[in-house]
Amino acid sequence: MSLNIAVIIKLEPDFSDGNVSYNPDGTLNRAETKTILGHHSAIASQAAFYAKVKYGARICIGTMGPPMADLALEQSLLLSDAEELHLYSDRSFAGADTLSTAEVLKTGISKMNDGKAMDIVFSGFRASDGETGQTGPQTAWKLGFTFLGNVISYEIDIEKRVITALRLISYGNNSLIEQVQAPLPVFIAIDPSYKSPFITVSQRLSASRYQKEAMIRSRNYKSLLKIFNAKELGVDPKLVGLPGSPTIVYKVEKIPKIKSNRSAQTVENIDPNNISNILEKIHETIA
Amino acid sequence: MSKLNENINESIERTASLKEDKEADVLDTSNKEDEISKYRNLYVIIEQIDGKIVPVGLEMISEARRLVDDFNKKYLLNEKVIAVILGNDIKHLCNDLIYYGADAVIYADDPRLQYHINKIYTKVIVQIATNTKHIEKISPEYSKQFIRPRYMFFAANSTGRHLSSTVLAELESGLASDINKLVIEDIDFRHEHKTKGQMLTFKKTLMMYRPDFSGFLWTTILCLDNKNPEIKRDYHPQACSIIPGVFEPLEKDMSRTGIIEEFKPEFDTKDLEIRVLSRNILKDVIDFGSYKTIISFGRGIKESPEQNIKLIEKLAKLLNAEIGISLPVSKKPFKLSDKINSLYITPERVIGTSGQKVEPTIYIALGISGATQHLAGMKNSGFIIAVNPDENAPIRNECDVFIKARIEDVLPIMIEELEREKMTQTREGGGSVVVGTV
Repeated sequence: MSLNIAVIIKLEPDFSDGNVSYNPDGTLNRAETKTILGHHSAIASQAAFYAKVKYGARICIGTMGPPMADLALEQSLLLSDAEELHLYSDRSFAGADTLSTAEVLKTGISKMNDGKAMDIVFSGFRASDGETGQTGPQTAWKLGFTFLGNVISYEIDIEKRVITALRLISYGNNSLIEQVQAPLPVFIAIDPSYKSPFITVSQRLSASRYQKEAMIRSRNYKSLLKIFNAKELGVDPKLVGLPGSPTIVYKVEKIPKIKSNRSAQTVENIDPNNISNILEKIHETIA
Repeated sequence: MSKLNENINESIERTASLKEDKEADVLDTSNKEDEISKYRNLYVIIEQIDGKIVPVGLEMISEARRLVDDFNKKYLLNEKVIAVILGNDIKHLCNDLIYYGADAVIYADDPRLQYHINKIYTKVIVQIATNTKHIEKISPEYSKQFIRPRYMFFAANSTGRHLSSTVLAELESGLASDINKLVIEDIDFRHEHKTKGQMLTFKKTLMMYRPDFSGFLWTTILCLDNKNPEIKRDYHPQACSIIPGVFEPLEKDMSRTGIIEEFKPEFDTKDLEIRVLSRNILKDVIDFGSYKTIISFGRGIKESPEQNIKLIEKLAKLLNAEIGISLPVSKKPFKLSDKINSLYITPERVIGTSGQKVEPTIYIALGISGATQHLAGMKNSGFIIAVNPDENAPIRNECDVFIKARIEDVLPIMIEELEREKMTQTREGGGSVVVGTV
């Protein structure tokens, strides 16, 4: 009774300082910006690794993207010690919205591990460039899997094929922790606050053993990599890329400034006298 | 002569009547399209937790009301704002949804809907959205052709984001997330795939405006039918999730009336194996409302984040203030010690449309440029001080004092002044003689 796990990840712009570049109009300069495994994709990879350490799961990672997205697969392999890597890459996938991306990912997942049924699919919380958080749940729906979002921890009963997960749900200014139980298969969008809890000594030992294995595997990651174009994947061309996208980006513009009723007094000389005047204003206002 | 006149008159009349016919024809075709439309009404998906409506629901109804009223006037139609609400023992909430602006409410009340379970809720929402029985009562004039909603609104929060995704995956239509402005227009548009390169008109298009990650740009997302014969497809409903706190709810008006319809959902037994075992409300640790002063920091801490945050902590202590952050900080992996990271770089501290709206007496913005979303969350504060080395930063238009400097240039002086004041006060308070400076 082994566990069959998939992770879907994304190669994203690296928004950290020094790596990100913006055009003069404030839009992202994609040509100049470095790309990395998305931050949330990395957390999803770690969540899958937990299942490997604890339940001996087999992991396959999939991504839709340009040929260079194999970099993200390599980085994700380092974190999860995956057995198999999938890259779905075809010019006809370009311009896909979340629905047509989900179509490609669903089809790809069905081909993982020689087409054996998946028990759990992991995805990140959202991508840092699109930020919609829609691709995960839409892939889950197309697979027919129960979707569990914002998961902060999970345990599996291998015998009963049941998962118990904690979810962090925010609404308004409140949040709640929900404990939910569901039969496998499930699709998990992992919460940004997820941390893998390796508590016992034996778990830590096997974690470090798998990490070593991941290092070795990543040196030769291309031997684990399978690249599929649209035809090899067998997707319906009407359902992917631009033709399969209900939504389009119509225009991008600067957000107009909101009307302000304030006019600021500008202070350029930073001396104690000026600062103490400002502090006086603060005291007066509060009093 | 008279004969001629008669002829002329006759021909004038004929031309006129022809013209009228022509106009009638034109009107007819547009009305025909309107009459036979399979897509009607705006459905607003309302969330409730423990029998209380989540506020964003009322905000969405208000915006839906405005859009649909304008839409009906513009297109001479009679479409409705329909609120949809699911839960257990929630029937009493339906009247409120009418009082706050909905024309009709369709509700499902069942113990199996006690908790929001994505798979179950998705199926019930889809059943409701494609149900024609209720439309016979709510929109009798459109019920013959009705198949599904024209537009749909969801909340852009943890639950609504996922629910909208799965509902639209099932309905196989388009969805835009995190919207803060909406317009309905007829647009002429040319697109390689959708129109095969031809300029075509798309009527009654919902223009969905979405602020991007920088906070300075608006992307307009459209959900459009494929009119290209090779890939012809209708995409309805046009749907979006709406950022909480953007739109003002309408005043509650108890004289408003509307139709309330109960829907009896069908459940798949397999889905009922998904069970919520427990729920614990987390006490909110950050309660901005109980502080007179709020100090927020943004990306301007970046040159020495660790030291800057320590300075901000000191200042907050001296001014008895709570600390907030701007959205980009919550996403940026600054190099910080774990302790500081977990204390301050958390989503609960974000101020703006993606976080909390605050109105303190004093608001101090440190190294925050002032994206629209942030301004929306703090502009109602009493007295606003901004520290930023860039005098073109938008925050300058939304503050009372703009200190053109870096955080590390200003804070040490501020802290020193405040500490001096404190010393003087304790001395005075202690009754000891203050020695004047000579």
